[in-house]
Amino acid sequence: MEFQIYRFNPDVDQEPRMQSFAVEVERGMMLRDVLLEIKRRDESFAFRHSCGEGVCGSDGVNVNGRNQLACITPVSDYEKGPVVIRPLPGRPVTRDLVVDMSDFYHQYHAVDPWLKRKDPVPEQENLQTPEQRARLDGLWECILCGCCSSSCPSFWWNPEKFLGPQALLSSWRFLADSRDQAEDERLDALDGPYKVFRCHTIMNCVDACPKHLNPTRAIGHIRNLMLKKSV
Amino acid sequence: MSLIRRNFDVLIIGAGGAGLNAAVQLAKADMRVAVVSKVFPTRSHTVAAQGGVNAALGNVNDDSWHWHMFDTVKGSDYLGDQDAIEFMCREAIPTVYELEHNGVPFSRLDSGKIYQRSFGGQSRGFGEEQASRTCAAADRTGHAILHTLYQQNIKARSHFFTEYFAIDLLQDAEGGVTGALVMDIASGEPMILNARATLLATGGCGQVFRTTSNAHINTGDGMAMALRAGVPLQDMEFFQFHPTGVAGRGMLITEASRGEGGYLINSEGERFMERYAPGAKDLASRDVVARAIVTEVREGRGCGPNKDYVLLKVDHLGEEVVAKRLPGIRETSKIFLGVDPAFEPIPVYPTAHYAMGGIPSDRFGRVVAPVHHGPEEVVQGLYAAGECACVSVHGANRLGGNSLLDILVFGRLSGLDILEYLGEHPRHRLTDSSSEECAMARFQRFDMSGEGITVAELRSEFRKVMEDHAGVFRTDAVMREGVDKVRDIRHRLEDVRLADTSRTYNTARIEAFELENLIDVGISIVTAALHRKESRGAHSRPDYPERDDRNWMRHSLYFLEEDRLDYKPVRTKPLSVDSFPPKPRVY
Amino acid sequence: MSRHLSGFRAWMWQRASAVYLAGFCIYALARLITVPPVDHQALKSWVGNPGMWLATALFFLFLLLHAWIGVRDVILDYIKSAGLRLGMLAAVFVFVLICGLWVLSILMGVL
Repeated sequence: MEFQIYRFNPDVDQEPRMQSFAVEVERGMMLRDVLLEIKRRDESFAFRHSCGEGVCGSDGVNVNGRNQLACITPVSDYEKGPVVIRPLPGRPVTRDLVVDMSDFYHQYHAVDPWLKRKDPVPEQENLQTPEQRARLDGLWECILCGCCSSSCPSFWWNPEKFLGPQALLSSWRFLADSRDQAEDERLDALDGPYKVFRCHTIMNCVDACPKHLNPTRAIGHIRNLMLKKSV
Repeated sequence: MSLIRRNFDVLIIGAGGAGLNAAVQLAKADMRVAVVSKVFPTRSHTVAAQGGVNAALGNVNDDSWHWHMFDTVKGSDYLGDQDAIEFMCREAIPTVYELEHNGVPFSRLDSGKIYQRSFGGQSRGFGEEQASRTCAAADRTGHAILHTLYQQNIKARSHFFTEYFAIDLLQDAEGGVTGALVMDIASGEPMILNARATLLATGGCGQVFRTTSNAHINTGDGMAMALRAGVPLQDMEFFQFHPTGVAGRGMLITEASRGEGGYLINSEGERFMERYAPGAKDLASRDVVARAIVTEVREGRGCGPNKDYVLLKVDHLGEEVVAKRLPGIRETSKIFLGVDPAFEPIPVYPTAHYAMGGIPSDRFGRVVAPVHHGPEEVVQGLYAAGECACVSVHGANRLGGNSLLDILVFGRLSGLDILEYLGEHPRHRLTDSSSEECAMARFQRFDMSGEGITVAELRSEFRKVMEDHAGVFRTDAVMREGVDKVRDIRHRLEDVRLADTSRTYNTARIEAFELENLIDVGISIVTAALHRKESRGAHSRPDYPERDDRNWMRHSLYFLEEDRLDYKPVRTKPLSVDSFPPKPRVY
Repeated sequence: MSRHLSGFRAWMWQRASAVYLAGFCIYALARLITVPPVDHQALKSWVGNPGMWLATALFFLFLLLHAWIGVRDVILDYIKSAGLRLGMLAAVFVFVLICGLWVLSILMGVL
C-alpha cells in the first residue's frame, strides 16, 4: 500500500515535500505500525509516539485531511486509496510530523485546570454521589493529543487568544465538578470576545476527537451556565 | 558553542507519578524545581495504569493497613523490606485522600465515598476472605492521577523542561551527584542542569522485552544512568509478566477485569485457575496466574489456530458493568482485536509489565549503595522513586494496585526528604571535570557517521534475546546463553552508526541513547537472574523449583563495572508491628 | 460578577436580537400578505401606528446590533493586524451608525 508522508527537516530542507513509501500491510495493522516501518527504513523520519494504545496522546497526525491518533487508527480504514499523512494542521512544524504544541499547552494552562476548593480540607475524601461523578464522564478522559484544537479554524486564526476546544472542555470539567468551588471566578476568567466566543459551533472538534469526547457540547454548557448566572 | 549551564535547587528527571508528586511538594515550598522529561508530562507511562491504587480505606468492607501489609509481604514472596512495606501501607490512606482533595475523579460508591474494587493477592484478616482495596477511576486510574498531578504542578509553578533527554548524571570528586547533562530534543543542543539534589523518577524498562505492556519510552534511562554513575541495580532478576496482555500485541487488559468478576478459560473451556490456585482462583498473585497461562499453552490447551493464548471472559458480567467499570479495556479490545468483551471473550497471554528491581533506595527515596563501607550508604545528592527505584516494597513480585501506590507514596516522601536535605546542604557541590567530560563524550557518541549496524537492527535482536532467555520460565542453560548473547550485543553497540546526525528533533539519536540504556539494564537482568538459584515470585526456575530462604532471602546488587554481583540482607523488621516470617505462599 | 459587553453579553444580544428579528419578520410578512396595503399612504399609516412604529424602530435597532456583532466577529476571527482591525471596526461602526441615523430620519418622517 502507498503512503504519502509529509517531510521537512529544517537542518537540510528549504521547503517541505511529500515522500511516498510502499509498505506491506498486514491484518490488524495500525497506522503507527506503518510509521514505525517507515522509520525502520529511514531513520531520519521523525514523529512522536509512545504508548501505542491511545492513552498517552503523543501521535496525533492528519490522515487524508482528518486528525487521528495513529496508534488506534487501523490501516484497513483506508483500503481504497492513497493515504496522505501530514502533521496536525495550524501548528508550526518542528520536523516531519512533529509540531510545536506550545500554544495548545498554554491555553490548557490558562483555564486553571485544577480543583479549587474554599472549604477546609476534610479528614477523609470529599463526598460525591455517583450521579455527580457521572457528570464528569466524557470530560476528564481527555488525553491532550491536540486533535480537536488543531482541527478548529478559530484556533488556527487566534491560537494565542481563543482557548480552543481542548482547554474549554477542561474548563467545563472543573465547572461541572461538584467539588469545585470557584464557579464565578472561572466564568469571569472566561469572559471577553476571544476566550470562548470565537467558537462558532462548527463541531470539527467533535469529529476529530479520538476519544469520542464532545468539546462543542462542553462549550454549550459553559455558555448556558453564563446565561443562567446572568439572569 | 558555549554550553548552557543552569542552576536549580532540585533536578527531577522524569515526569510520571513519582516525579510529579515529588515536584509538587518542592514547588509548593518555593524551591526552584527543574522537571526534565523526554515527553510532555501527561504522556508519561503512569497514564496507562488502569486498575487503581491500593489503600485500606475500608469503603466497601472492613480493612486495615496491617492486612494490606501482610498481603504485600506475602505477595513479595518475603523478599520485600518490611519496614518500607509497613510505611507504604500506612501512608497509602492519607496519600489517596490527598489525591482526592487535589481533584482525581475517582469512581464513587452510593455512599459518596471512593469506589474500591478487588484485585489479586488481596485479603482481609491476614489471608482470609477477598478484600476490596483498590481505589479506582473507572479503568483509567493512572490517567486520572497523572493529569491531576500535572495540574497541581501547573498550579505550583514547577519549571518544566519538556522534551529534554537526560544523557548522564554529573558527579563531584566524591561520587555525590551534582545534576545532569541533558539535551533539548527540539534543537539537539546540550545543557548542564546543576542541582543540590537530583531525583531519578524515570520509570520502568519494559522495552527490554519484545512483547511488553510498556510504552516506547520505557527504556530504563534512569536505571542505566545510575549504573554508569557507579550505583548498582537491586533485584533486577525479578521482572513481572502481567498475565493478561492482548495476545500477540502486549498491551494490557487490566487485572480489574478479573477483579470485577472475569475469569480465564483454556481451549477445553475449563476455568483452569481453579487447579493452580484453589482459593483465590483468578485473583491469585500475578506471577502465579502468568505461570499458569504459560503452562496451559505449553501443555497444548491454548486457544486459537496456533493454540498460543487463553481466553479472558467478562461477557457474563453484562454490557452495563463492562461499559461502566471497564470502558478502557473494552475500547482497546475492540480496536486491536475486533472483539467486544461485553459479548465475546478476550484472547490474552502474559506480557512483560513491571520491574520489581531498580535503583536501591530507602523509604525516604535516598539512593543507598555499598560505596565505601556498609551495604546501605547514602549517595549524596541522589534520590530515586517510582518504578526505576527498588525500595524494596515489591520484593520478588508486585501486587496489582501497588505500583501507583509506590510511585505516589515514595514520590511524595522523596520530595519531602529533599526539602530537609536542602536545608542541611545550602550550597551546590562542584562537578568534577572528568564527570562532565564523560557525559559530553556520551552526548557526542552518535555524531560519528559511516558504515555500521543500525539502531533498529540491534534493538530488535536484543529484545528478542531478552524475551527468549529471560522470560516467564528460566533454566540455567537458557540463561547462560542469554548472558553471552547480551554481552555480545553490548560489544556490537560500538559499531552502531546513525545515518542521520542532524540536530533538530532527531529521534534516531534519542533511540540510540535509549538502546544503550536498554542494553545496560538488560545485562543486569540476565546476570542477576542467572545467579539466583531458586524460584521466588516472578523469578521461576524449573531447575530450582523451590524457594530457598536459607541461601537466597537476600537482595541482589548488580554493578556495571566488572559485571559484578553483590548481595545484601532483606530488612525483615517492620517499624512498629511484628515481623511476618516467611511461609509457603499459596493462594 | 462582571460580564463585559464584548464577550458573553455580545453573544447573548446576538441570540436575543435574532429571536426578535425572526418574530418581527414573520408578523410583518403575514400582515403584508393577508392585508396588503393598497398604497403608500396605507403603508405609512400602518407603520405610523404607535405600537407598530415602536416595533419597527426596535426591529432596526436589533438588526443593526445583530449586524454589528456579526461583522465584528468576522473581523475578530480573520483580521490579525491590530491597526487594520481597529480601522475596519471603526469603519463598520461608522457605517452602522449612519444606517441607524438614516433609519431614524425615515421613521421620524412617518410620524
